[in-house]
Amino acid sequence: MYQFNYQKAGSQDDAVSALSSAEDGKFLAGGMTLIPTLKQRLAQPSDLVDLSGINDMVGIQDGGDSITIGAMTRHVDVANSDVVGSKIPALQHLASHIGDPQVRNRGTIGGSIANNDPAADYPAAVLALNATVITNKREFAADDFFDGMFATNLEEDELITAIRFPVPEKAGYAKFPNPASRYALVGVMVAQTGGETRVSVTGAGQDGVFRASDIESALSGNWSAEAAKGVKMSDDGLNSDIHASAEYRAHLISVMASRAVDAAG
Amino acid sequence: MSETTNKWIGQNTIRPDGAPKVTGSAAFAADTNMPGMIWGSVLRSPHAHARIKSIDTSKAEAHPGVKAVVTAADIVDFPVDTPFPLGIQDMRWMCRNVMAREKALFHGHPVAAVAATSEAIAAEACKLIEVDYEVLPHAIEIDDALAPDAPILHDFIEFEGKPSNIAGTLEHTKGDIEAGFAEADVIIERDFTTRPVHQGYIEPHACLVSVAADGKATIWSSSQGQFMVRAMTGLLTGIPQSDIRAIPAEIGGGFGGKTIVYLEPLATILSKKSGRPVKMVMTREEVMRASGPTSGSKSTIKIGAKKDGTITAAEGIYWLQAGGLPGSPIRGAVGCALAPYDIPNGRTFGYDVVSNRSKVAAYRAPGAPIGAFGIECVLDEIAEELGMDPLDLRLKNAAKEGTQAVHGPTYPLMGYVESLEAAKAHDHYKAPLGPNQGRGVASGFWFNAGGESSAQVNITEDGNVVVTTGHPDIGGSRAGIANICAELLGIDYRRVSVLIGDTATIGFSNLTGGSRVLFASSIVVTESTNNVIGTLCALAAKIWDIDPEAVIWEDGEARPAGANAGQFPPLTLEELAARANESGGPIGAGAQINTTGAEGGFGTHICDVEVDPELGTVQVLRYTVLQDVGRAVHPSYVEGQMQGGAVQAIGWALNEEYIYNKNGHVDNPGFLDYRMPVASDMPMIDTHIIEIPNPKHPQGVRGVGEVPLVPGLAAVRNAIHDAVGVRFNDLPMSPPVVLDALDMAEAAE
Repeated sequence: MYQFNYQKAGSQDDAVSALSSAEDGKFLAGGMTLIPTLKQRLAQPSDLVDLSGINDMVGIQDGGDSITIGAMTRHVDVANSDVVGSKIPALQHLASHIGDPQVRNRGTIGGSIANNDPAADYPAAVLALNATVITNKREFAADDFFDGMFATNLEEDELITAIRFPVPEKAGYAKFPNPASRYALVGVMVAQTGGETRVSVTGAGQDGVFRASDIESALSGNWSAEAAKGVKMSDDGLNSDIHASAEYRAHLISVMASRAVDAAG
Repeated sequence: MSETTNKWIGQNTIRPDGAPKVTGSAAFAADTNMPGMIWGSVLRSPHAHARIKSIDTSKAEAHPGVKAVVTAADIVDFPVDTPFPLGIQDMRWMCRNVMAREKALFHGHPVAAVAATSEAIAAEACKLIEVDYEVLPHAIEIDDALAPDAPILHDFIEFEGKPSNIAGTLEHTKGDIEAGFAEADVIIERDFTTRPVHQGYIEPHACLVSVAADGKATIWSSSQGQFMVRAMTGLLTGIPQSDIRAIPAEIGGGFGGKTIVYLEPLATILSKKSGRPVKMVMTREEVMRASGPTSGSKSTIKIGAKKDGTITAAEGIYWLQAGGLPGSPIRGAVGCALAPYDIPNGRTFGYDVVSNRSKVAAYRAPGAPIGAFGIECVLDEIAEELGMDPLDLRLKNAAKEGTQAVHGPTYPLMGYVESLEAAKAHDHYKAPLGPNQGRGVASGFWFNAGGESSAQVNITEDGNVVVTTGHPDIGGSRAGIANICAELLGIDYRRVSVLIGDTATIGFSNLTGGSRVLFASSIVVTESTNNVIGTLCALAAKIWDIDPEAVIWEDGEARPAGANAGQFPPLTLEELAARANESGGPIGAGAQINTTGAEGGFGTHICDVEVDPELGTVQVLRYTVLQDVGRAVHPSYVEGQMQGGAVQAIGWALNEEYIYNKNGHVDNPGFLDYRMPVASDMPMIDTHIIEIPNPKHPQGVRGVGEVPLVPGLAAVRNAIHDAVGVRFNDLPMSPPVVLDALDMAEAAE
């Protein structure tokens, strides 16, 4: 780890101004990616601005037809939330299977989405549930937020403050974990919200999370596991690595989509 | 378990290392620090195979904060033409493994090391070392190394009169193999491969070495043998063993991988040069790239049997990867492969093949799981061909007392048949299976071992007991020794403290390995404790003024042997300890013995799996390990060994492997990419302990820890066949591989 200045922000405004005045600052949420990156000397920020002291970025609010989750809410708190469990059980299921207990006790939804790891779980939920990403500057529709592997359309000094999930009619998430890292080798979320069917895939795409439009079309006409399984995915643009070929990942997308439909009911 | 009148042997007493480990206070190798300590870092070869033309360390030496630099020139050379065995190792290869000499033989091979005032400075200084390499073509896989145009790693190795990557062979034969196959009604021959896997100990290699101004070295390190550390470090640095004190740290897993040195000689030379204590700790990546995994292998197995299941002949030919320097565990492969069976005509043959990989190290029953894999798979196929239950086929051919094994020995009393009978009778073997579920069985053998052990048993002035032995405890030996010593003395086990001495405080004790530690150390502890009891009885006799022969030791106290001996109230251990100076003084005894009488261990595994035909995943649903352990001195530790071995076998069978890229570099040198199973992947592993006491051991101990890895690869594979009808002959059976095979099988129908 290289040296850096540590600053703990007390408010959103503090955080943004601390970052703006830093030479090369970074926000620190749960640190589940950033801290290992620093330890391996793969990054050398001048400043870390710790967001853990900002109270209005933590918590889960029931908005009736939506749930708003503060960006600094930990995975374990989403996994244990009765509100999330009763309104979007698929999201609760997803949160309860991220990483391991240590990661869930530290990692946050805002950190996960801002990092946009191509094998992270939460980006799939944001995209399939058509969530709104709320920042200190504006609101992003889910389709406008992610911008390729480890990239988003956030500006340098823009801070995610919360994510608002509309309550779907149905939703399900099925993950095939990498047998080593337990990240998603392929994770698929399916959802029906306000009559619209959305299917998102994490872990498989070279450009990170994406929507599987062929499966969306198949499920729009026929919401069934068989319909999802019947879609033969192209392996264009899919990852091929030491754990799985693009062909195997393409196959997994259809199968995991069918299992997500089963889970959604 | 067999019935005994034991009070402590066979009890799950509280583990002496439990509280320190659970509370985080146990001191592992990286936990020791000294004033003035500096840090060592290793420069490693960026090439899989390269001649080292020159090394210029001047810039590194001039770097601020750098205190010493070491290269192969500082390490004692053992010429390649003069064998120099040390245990199962050869110092010719050890000196070239700890630091590349003429050539870098694998990516990650140490080339130089630096000690500096911080880890970061040491790492920076490594980058300033200029090495002029002549990059050579590399060979990674066995077939690459055996190809006619293969790059030859060592020009001094010849096979059949030509330079070769075959560094050695080993053969066992019995009977007339051709005649045996001629008698067979069914013959099955198959080819198999297994992949190299790492032992996966959680604690990376680490040491702290201080060479004082008088030249005397103290080494704190995590190893499976402080005497091995002393001997190898002495030989590689030229320091006499009497000037080296090796202190064993609590060990965070070894599984065989800590039976050789990597860092200790480097840190010793760096400390000697700098005059400062030097600490070195491997990263996980260094552990994966440069410490020894077990061999990958290929094999050809041929077995013939009569219609009634009688095996008439069996043959196994094995090629094992040694890594960059000779020394794969072919002895375990060719020795254990056919060991469970009474085979009239048998032959096993092993080739030791060098290639540009890190040098292999021992891994739990080294070579034996590779030997058993193909044999146990072919037996499964023969059973199917003959319409026999696979356990019945094994029972028909099971080795028993008096059987002469293909690898040589004639067996004494042992419990292989009992493990098969217990498996057949077990609920597990009769439980119903659902769709896509299957059940497999397999058996396995390990030699076990005796060898040198030392112990000292001292009675404290307050009448308690301190036992010191010379073996790092990786599987429960301290708990087992406490039970045995308490049993012999007739006192509560909590009054016995068992410690592991360093090389200055206890006599020579060979490595922790070969499933030998409780076998060997309980022999020396028993002899020492019996001598202590003799001293206690003599003291009581003197106090009572009767003949020592007229005193007996019972329930922790000296008693007159009978009415004729006289009427005296018993003298307890505490009372005698308090009165020790009335006769002879301090009470204690030691023993140092090259122990013999170790006998092999056998086990049988039952595995149930469910295959997901859409994903290719294999879930182990139920798993039972049945094993003759001789005597379960501490049953929960014995169960832990049986469970741990089975879990490592499941990982090896299903997912674990080293993956090399085209440059000859390991692509998965960490737990984010190396596919090791975790607890949530596993069912509870059920155990069935069989006790056929070893008649040559005072407590009947055989050795436990290695047998349970041996049958597992084939048990899982045979279960998958039972579930989906596909026979996998290559490991690992990872989801993409299984799915491909299922698709091909479906297409073929």
